[in-house]
Parts: sequence; structure tokens; C-alpha cells
Amino acid sequence: MTTQVVDGIEQPRDPTWYKRAVFYEVLIRGFADSNGDGTGDIRGLTQKLDYLHWLGVDCIWLLPIYESPLRDGGYDISDFLRVLPEFGDLGDFVELIDGAHKRGMRIIADLVMNHTSDAHPWFRASRSDPDGPFGDFYVWSDTKLKYEDARIIFVDTESSNWTWDPERNQYYWHRFFSHQPDLNYENPAVQEAMLEVLRFWLDLGIDGFRLDAIPYLFEEEGTNCENLPRTHEFLKRVRKEVDSLYPDKVLLAEANQWPEDVVEYFGSGDECHMAFHFPVMPRIFMAVRREQRYPISEIMAQTPAIPDNCQWGIFLRNHDELTLEMVTDEERDYMYSEYAQDPRMKANIGIRRRLAPLLENSRDQMELFTALLLSLPGSPVLYYGDEIGMGDNIYLGDRDGVRTPMQWTPDRNAGFSSSDPQRLYLPVIMDPVYGYQVINVESQMRSSTSLLHWTRRMIDVRRRHPTFGMGNYEELGASNPSVLAFVRQFGDDVVLCVNNLSRFAQPVELDLRRFEGRTPIELMGGVHFPRVGELPYLLTMPGHGFYWFQVSTVEA
Amino acid sequence: MADVIDLLPEWLPQQRWFGAKGRRIHGISLLADRTIMEGNPTCRHVLVQVDLGEDKETYQLLLGCRPELPERLVHVAIGATGDGILYDGLHDYVVTQVMLQMLAEQADEQGLRFRHLTEVALRTELTGIVMSAEQSNTSVVFGDDYILKLFRKVSPGLNPDLEISRALAEAGCTAIVPPLAWLETDLPTAASGTPGGTTTLGMMQPFLRSASEGWQLAVTSVRDLYAEADLHADEVGGDFAAESERLGAATAEVHSLLREVLPSRGADAEENHATAKLMHGRLDDALEVVPELAPFAEDLRTAYDALAELPPGVPVQRVHGDFHLGQALRTDSGWVLIDFEGEPARPLAERTALMSPLRDVAGMLRSFDYAARHLLAEQPAAAGLEYRANEWAERNTDAFCTGYARATGSDPRDDDVLLRAFELDKAVYEVVYEARNRPTWLPIPLGSIERLLR
Repeated sequence: MTTQVVDGIEQPRDPTWYKRAVFYEVLIRGFADSNGDGTGDIRGLTQKLDYLHWLGVDCIWLLPIYESPLRDGGYDISDFLRVLPEFGDLGDFVELIDGAHKRGMRIIADLVMNHTSDAHPWFRASRSDPDGPFGDFYVWSDTKLKYEDARIIFVDTESSNWTWDPERNQYYWHRFFSHQPDLNYENPAVQEAMLEVLRFWLDLGIDGFRLDAIPYLFEEEGTNCENLPRTHEFLKRVRKEVDSLYPDKVLLAEANQWPEDVVEYFGSGDECHMAFHFPVMPRIFMAVRREQRYPISEIMAQTPAIPDNCQWGIFLRNHDELTLEMVTDEERDYMYSEYAQDPRMKANIGIRRRLAPLLENSRDQMELFTALLLSLPGSPVLYYGDEIGMGDNIYLGDRDGVRTPMQWTPDRNAGFSSSDPQRLYLPVIMDPVYGYQVINVESQMRSSTSLLHWTRRMIDVRRRHPTFGMGNYEELGASNPSVLAFVRQFGDDVVLCVNNLSRFAQPVELDLRRFEGRTPIELMGGVHFPRVGELPYLLTMPGHGFYWFQVSTVEA
Repeated sequence: MADVIDLLPEWLPQQRWFGAKGRRIHGISLLADRTIMEGNPTCRHVLVQVDLGEDKETYQLLLGCRPELPERLVHVAIGATGDGILYDGLHDYVVTQVMLQMLAEQADEQGLRFRHLTEVALRTELTGIVMSAEQSNTSVVFGDDYILKLFRKVSPGLNPDLEISRALAEAGCTAIVPPLAWLETDLPTAASGTPGGTTTLGMMQPFLRSASEGWQLAVTSVRDLYAEADLHADEVGGDFAAESERLGAATAEVHSLLREVLPSRGADAEENHATAKLMHGRLDDALEVVPELAPFAEDLRTAYDALAELPPGVPVQRVHGDFHLGQALRTDSGWVLIDFEGEPARPLAERTALMSPLRDVAGMLRSFDYAARHLLAEQPAAAGLEYRANEWAERNTDAFCTGYARATGSDPRDDDVLLRAFELDKAVYEVVYEARNRPTWLPIPLGSIERLLR
């Protein structure tokens, strides 16, 4: 077996780790505050690594950590090579990486390649000195009449993709906010500079990146300036560079598009390793609301095959809201008419809510949703706090409602920070149902029946069966439309998952002839179920219940 | 030792698919007896004629014979003969694999013709298993891929399901299950009346593994609505209207294509009268069985008379003929319609007659009504549920018609005289059926008649 040296210790190579990993999304700002200034920081996260390790997290995903004027949540980077001072410094970051690696965990972070903040020194130099070394780093033009077929993404705030710069007396190109000028990838120096940024962080030990806004790197007249072939060429170059110098890293594409379009970013296994499968989440919600499996069955049937060394990322909730911009008209109609049009959905989902409030704090639904997340094809991404069923604060507006401090203890500031409560970057949740006195890590640690312990056990079961990450997915026809049954198979590791999407108890008959003679063993308790015969296999499911069976070769 | 003919009088009436249960059997004779496989097991394809006095019925059997039966076949044993133990061969994968093989080879076996669509290459290594719970036929599923339906009671002539699904498949219809293969023969004159007439004995289609019946889905939705305290049908998560609308569109696609590829025309005035006359006749019969219908008789007749007086030109065409939620399957990609056989109890000529497609629409609307209400019949209802059932049925009726109108440009609700008459006629049929079979359900169609006449 090939090995590599990490922290001076020789370790076996694991090039497909991301296919089996459980990811955990952390807001550094909201996780733990080590210096009492009311804002979470890198050291705080480092202090909580034991907790994440205990939970079973394989890889921590960080939102942007770079220096930024924070006019777009850190996605407006003003220095790629420095850490945002309120989060800490590079030394803290290296400690975090080391701490994670020592525990066998990995760290990836968001990186915006498409644009910078207008406060970035490159942009300042570019606008003041058109003939200088950075003069060509951005997309400048004397006229706004170029690339007119490119849509405006933030239609609410921007009226054009071009903004006039009075200093240089030219227009600059920006696909997002006007304070985020797009880098000019036509310029080889820009490509080099960005590769240099990647190498900088990889040298510090980071395990990969989520590449933000990658469909927009290049522009071309007469196109919509998205997903252009040269963008893919550059990504192939990035992948090659990373693979040759830094083995076992991961590149995750951020492309909010329909799966059949996102697959382009896998290339032939030579671009990104991972991409998010966006529609899975709303379809799970829809299926449980409808009490029938077709919303999920449909999207799984429409999901294209991906190269062997690639993997989908799936999630129930994250820091963002679901956008419908990537769906086709027909799909959009479907989503709106079946999902958002439901008044309770509309009121509740607002799509900026956490899992627990979305499910009206129903424990069995939270368990069913989590079981689906952990068993459907793809690597699951947990959102910080959802493992304890944290609530949200809809009065905070925008996306802040789901970004409140992590609730560690019933003490002041939920144990998140020792600062004055008034100084917190956002108030902790204090309502009687989800407030930190009730919902916190400490109390759930003490109760073996808590959601936290349950989640940990599920992650542990998942870890013992590589098929959840590596196996193929095949849906079984079930006699009952409220039941979603599927088989995950990876060599000899065969797991049968049966999910009751209805709130009512349901019987289901499964055609398990392919497993005739085998004995299903329930994975949570190891209980042997009746042997599979030739006849349909009858199971009775409690409302919102689910079973995971290992379909062993044991003859009982 | 006995032979098959001696064992059948006892065995046949016990079979679920035997249509003449409870009637006296005057005699049973073999119309055809072909050994299609030698060895162990041997297999015979047999057509028997059952003499019921007034009429005769023909049944199709596939008989296996082994010196002794393995455990898995004991439950389908028929009896011992001189050659070994006779059993229902459709339950034996060794036997059914031979059938699959013959379909793949397009075999001609002593007058049995096995055929498949020329562009289809069938997989023959698949193992067959009999589907449980079937009423009038027996179906064998091969692997996850095919389902072969053998007609037990054989009706002379080309099977309308095969005829229609072939025609629709050739027209590129996406809302049906295309036929892959079929089995046919020429019935002896004694059975068909017309020598040389081709008779379909079975057909094979792709097996839709992940499909569910529309009825199951609709009931899931109704159950969800009943469980809510204060929400309306359009507010609950289990709302079915979007599915109903797509089902309406799928139904419209099938009707439009049938109109194009099979005969269609405008009915003349006499046909309207004849249709109404049949309805009046069924009402006469129903009134004798169910006196509770009497208060509605006059209004029912008025509705039928309105149909009789319709101007000539009512479009008629081939239709599904027995359309309800159980005849629609939801697949991963949408709805498909199945079983274009018409009402199996009616003679072939009636099943293939041209009719208004609104008859199918009416059938589905009645099915929505049943789906909404049957839970009420099973559990003594709280007063509020009746209101909710109405709401569900109306919402889904509207959605179905909207989907239908969107796909064809003509809204079934615009032809209210026709649609109402068909719905009432169907409800009268249901009243008789429930009075005979499920008296506790009788209020469902009676209530519907009252509402429709209101």
C-alpha cells in the first residue's frame, strides 16, 4: 500500500476518503469563542476538535477564513494569504490543521476563485496603474456593450455586469456584486497567481477547497459566459497541479445547478472530486410532506452517473438558502407548485430555517431525515448544531437566523463565549423550545437517548459500512408508495434501507428474491430478521420509521 | 389412474380466477392439449371448455408434471396422474422459463404462436415468479424486467389490451406500458364460432418495478387530510391535486392518440338514444335490487333523457372502458395507464365498441369520489370528515379535468350533460354492486348520486 508522511508519521494513502467521509459545516464565527470577544475564532474551533472527533466527523468544512471587508460574508476576499484577524492568524490555522490531522480528521475551506473584493491590492493596483503588473488582472472595457448575453445574477441589487471605475476611466466586469470585480483568467499571470494561492494553503496542510462560483471564470462573446470550455480546461489544470504535488486532496465544486449540468465539473474524473447535489434536500422534504416516495425516486432516477473517483455531496440544511435558479422551467414549476405553494411550507421553509424548526421539532422526523441523509448516495454534510436539534431566530433576518452561536452548555452565552452577552456577534437562541438552557451539547452528552447520541451512533454505523459511501444505489419497488426502499451494494457489503415517509404505520411487501436464503440483520441493534424466501418480504413500519439491514450471507 | 380431465371438476372452481364460481358445471372437455416440454418436468398447454348449461367458458392452463413435487410446488399441486403429480406450471420457474424462451425465439409450437416485437431482444435467463393477488388472470414476473400475463378465461379474438397498447406504442405514446411479446392461437371452431380467428392467450410487458397504483397514492393523500384538524384539501402536505392534474394530462394524451390511430367518428342521434336506453335499463334493474334508489329515479331519468336529446355528432372512439385509479400507475417519470381490456365481464364486441371518451373521465371521477369516501365507510365518521371528503374529491376532480383540458384543449366539464349521465350511470352500477357485496359501502354511491343530482 502506498503511504504518505503526515506530521512526520507515515500513514497509508487514502485517495477516496471523501467518498466515505461525513462532512460537518462550521461557521468559525458561530462555533466557539476562545478570547471572549463575542465572535468565534479558529482557536475556539481547535478546542472543540475532540467533540467533533467524538461525534464521528471526518472532515470539517469552513466558510471563507480570509481577510475581507465582509460585505458579502467573507466571499469578498481582500487578501488570499491572510486569515481574517477576528478569526485568528496563520499560526492558529496551522494548529487547527495539526489538531485535526492528529485525530484523523481533515479540513477543507471555501475559496473564491472568480473574483476578489474591490479592496484587494490587486484591484487597487489594477485601477490606478493600467500598464503596471496588475493592469490586466481584471476584466476592463471601454464599453458596456460586451458579453451582453450573460445574465445578471443579483438582479435585486445590480443593474449591469459592468460598473464604471472613475479612477481608471473604464468599466470593470463583475458577475456578482459591483464590489466584487471578476479576475481576468485570460491573463496567464492571474492563473499563476491563483495556483500560487492554492499551493500556499495546501502547503499549510489544508485538505481541499470548496471552489466558489466556478462556472464564471471565463467570458466569451456570444455566450452566456457560464460553464465555458476554457473554464473546464483551467479546472483540469488546477486538478493536475494539486494531484501532482498534494495527494489525497479534494476539490468541491460550488455550482448551484441541476445535477445533469453539474456533472460537467467532474470532467472525466479529472476536474472536481465532488459537487453538491442540490435537489435531494427539497425532494426529501416534499416526499415526507406528500407521504410518498416519488419526489425522491424521480430525482434519483434523473441523476446521471458520475466517474468512479467522484462523489456527490448531500445535505439537509446549510448556511445558505435553497436557490431555484438552477432548475429547468418544468422542474421549477414542479418545485413551486408542489413544495413552495403549500402555505405551511411557504411560511415555514422560507428556506432559511434549521432542520428542527422545519420539522416542528419532531424527533422521529429528524431521525428519518438524518437516516436518509446518511444512506442516500453521496457524502453527507451536517450543519453545525443540527446534531443537537438547534433552533433558529427568524427575527434576525437574511441568513443570520440560522447562524446563531453553537449551544454548548446551559451557562451564559450557551457556553459559546465568555463575553458580555451584548457583545455577541448574534444573540444566542433563547426561546423556551430551542433555547440554550434546553438544547445544548452538555445536557445531550449526559443523556444516552438524546438526539446527539443517536446521531453519533448512526454515524458510527455508517462508518462500519463502506457501501454507504462507495456502493451503488438501486431502488426496490415497494408495494406501498409511502415506503422508499433501496439497496446500497459495494462488493460483499450489502445494506437494505427501508424508510416509511408517512406519519402512519405502514405495511410493505418487498421483492427481495435476489437475496433469497439470506438473513437481514438490523444494523442499529444487530437483530436477525426472518430469512428471505421466494415470497414478498413483509415488514411493518412505524410512522416515520426506518430500517437499515445488512443483508448478510448468514444462513439462519 | 386419473388424468387431468378427472381432476379439474374439483380443482377449477377453487381457483381465484375461475369466473363461474357457484354455478353448476355440466361438463368439462379438453379443447386443446399440447405437450410443449418433455422430461422432468413435462409441461402441457391446455385449453379446457367448461359447460355451464346456458353458456360455455374456455380456460387456459399450463400444467407441469413431475414424479414428485419439490416443497416449493406442493401448494399448487392438482393431483396424481399415471405420469406423475400434476400441478399449476405457472408457479414453476423451470416451466415459465420455457415460455420465455419460446417468446424470445418466436416459436411456432403445434398451433401456439409465440411472438415479440421485432426490435426487442428478450433476456431469457431471468427467473419467473407468480404475482400474488390477481383476480382474473395469472401474471409471471421475470427478474425485474418483464411481466407475462396469461389470460385464464379465454375470450375469442384479438385481446383489446394488446391491440390498443400496440397501437399506442407505435404512435409513440409515453403514457402506457408498451407490449413486448404475446402468445396467440387459433381457437377450434367449437370455442370461437369462427374458424381461424386469432385469439390472444397472453402478453408480456416491461415490469414497472417501482410503480404504485394510483389508488394507493390517492388514499395516502386522503388519509393525510383526515388526520389534519383544521387544514383544507389544498393546504395539507399530502395534497394530490398536482398528481391528479398530471394524470388528467396522461389520460388526454391516450385519448387523443387513440382517436388518431384507431377508428373514431361522430355518433348519430340514434346512438345517443340507444346509450340512454341502456342506462334506463340498468336503472330499472337496479331499482328492483336497491329500493333506496327510488327517490332519485325521476331525476336520474331526466339526466339520461338529456343525453338522449343531444344533437348528433358526439365524438366516439376506442376508449379504456374500465378506467379508475387502480388502472393508473405512478412511475418514477410520471403516470401510465394500464389494462385496456374494458370491463372483463362484458362480451368482446361491447368492449371494443366506440364510445365517448367521457366515459373514461366519468370512471376516474367516480374513483376520486370512492378514494375520498371509502375510509368513512370503514370507520364511523366524525361529522367533519364528510365535508373534507367532498373537498378532496372536488379538488382532485377539478385538477384532473384541468390537466385533461390543458392537454387536449377541451374541458370535460364543458360537456356536462354527457359527463353527468356517465357518472350517474356508473354510480347506479356501484349501488347495485355495493348492495350485493358490501352493504356498509352502499352510502358512498348513494350519496354521490344525491350530490350529482343536486
